[in-house]
Amino acid sequence: MKKAADLFIRNPWIDLAARLCLGVVFVYASFHKITDPSAFAKVIYGYGLFPAVTINVTAIVLPYLELFTGLFLILGVMPRSAAVLAEILFLAFIIAISVNLIRGHTFDCGCFSFNKENPDSAGIELLVRDLIWFAVGLVPVFFKGKRV
Amino acid sequence: MMRRICVKIFKDLGIMIVLAAVTGFCVNAFSPSGIALVGDWNPEQGVVSARVKNQPVSHDIEIRTVDEAFAIFSDQKALFVDAREDALFNEGHIKGAVSLFVNDYGKRFAGFMEKVPLDRPIVAYCSGRSCEDSHTLARYLKEDGYTDVRVFVDGYPAWAEEGHPVEKSR
Repeated sequence: MKKAADLFIRNPWIDLAARLCLGVVFVYASFHKITDPSAFAKVIYGYGLFPAVTINVTAIVLPYLELFTGLFLILGVMPRSAAVLAEILFLAFIIAISVNLIRGHTFDCGCFSFNKENPDSAGIELLVRDLIWFAVGLVPVFFKGKRV
Repeated sequence: MMRRICVKIFKDLGIMIVLAAVTGFCVNAFSPSGIALVGDWNPEQGVVSARVKNQPVSHDIEIRTVDEAFAIFSDQKALFVDAREDALFNEGHIKGAVSLFVNDYGKRFAGFMEKVPLDRPIVAYCSGRSCEDSHTLARYLKEDGYTDVRVFVDGYPAWAEEGHPVEKSR
């Protein structure tokens, strides 16, 4: 088991692949939020978890946090820190989705597009997807050696 | 060693958060689709919105109860206009309402104007207090000359739930 983990965190090509995949996901996920902050603010409101005064500021800042996280991962700028930030964001999404799943609250995840009229696109598959991405993000966080 | 890495990560996180915040606020300040720093998120006051620049949600024109909307409907003077997409309109809408999907407004407005005089009272609606399309439609109609346009904030779901007259389209 330890040997397998070592293979993952010491292979620079696996680290590069993980960073590129995560980076592309974050950059892609940020675009529709940047172009339509109003719709994204409504998605955040729909989660039913955030105080009203924080919703707009979150909708203004979070898309750029995703964009820079993605770009930094792709370009290899502060790669470990960018990966840590990616993990923090995934953890936040996982918690938000889990809380709403537990309390049976349907909402639009707003991950890669906005689904205004049918806001029931958040579910167990989103949780599984984010958990997989979280696992991928562990590679650049714990990578040991010289990155390519 | 570990402590040094953690300190570096904290510093980097600070840099990334500041960079994102500065970029976000600057773009928001200059973008036409920018939003206010604090939105209008209390559904008790009417339709919720992020308060987009130059696109205010005017609570003054809102009809806030189903009873009030039904009284206007019963009066038979106002035309109810459905801002939702065609598929939802066809599934069910307020009886007698006409469809004017807000995203197709430019294409459909000429046909609508031919049939509806500018002084006819209009009540726009969509899917409830989280749906801003009724306000967007009301704003477009006012800009194009309609003088008496109001918004029924609870929209079709609340109307149907109360058992008021609805119909489907084929």
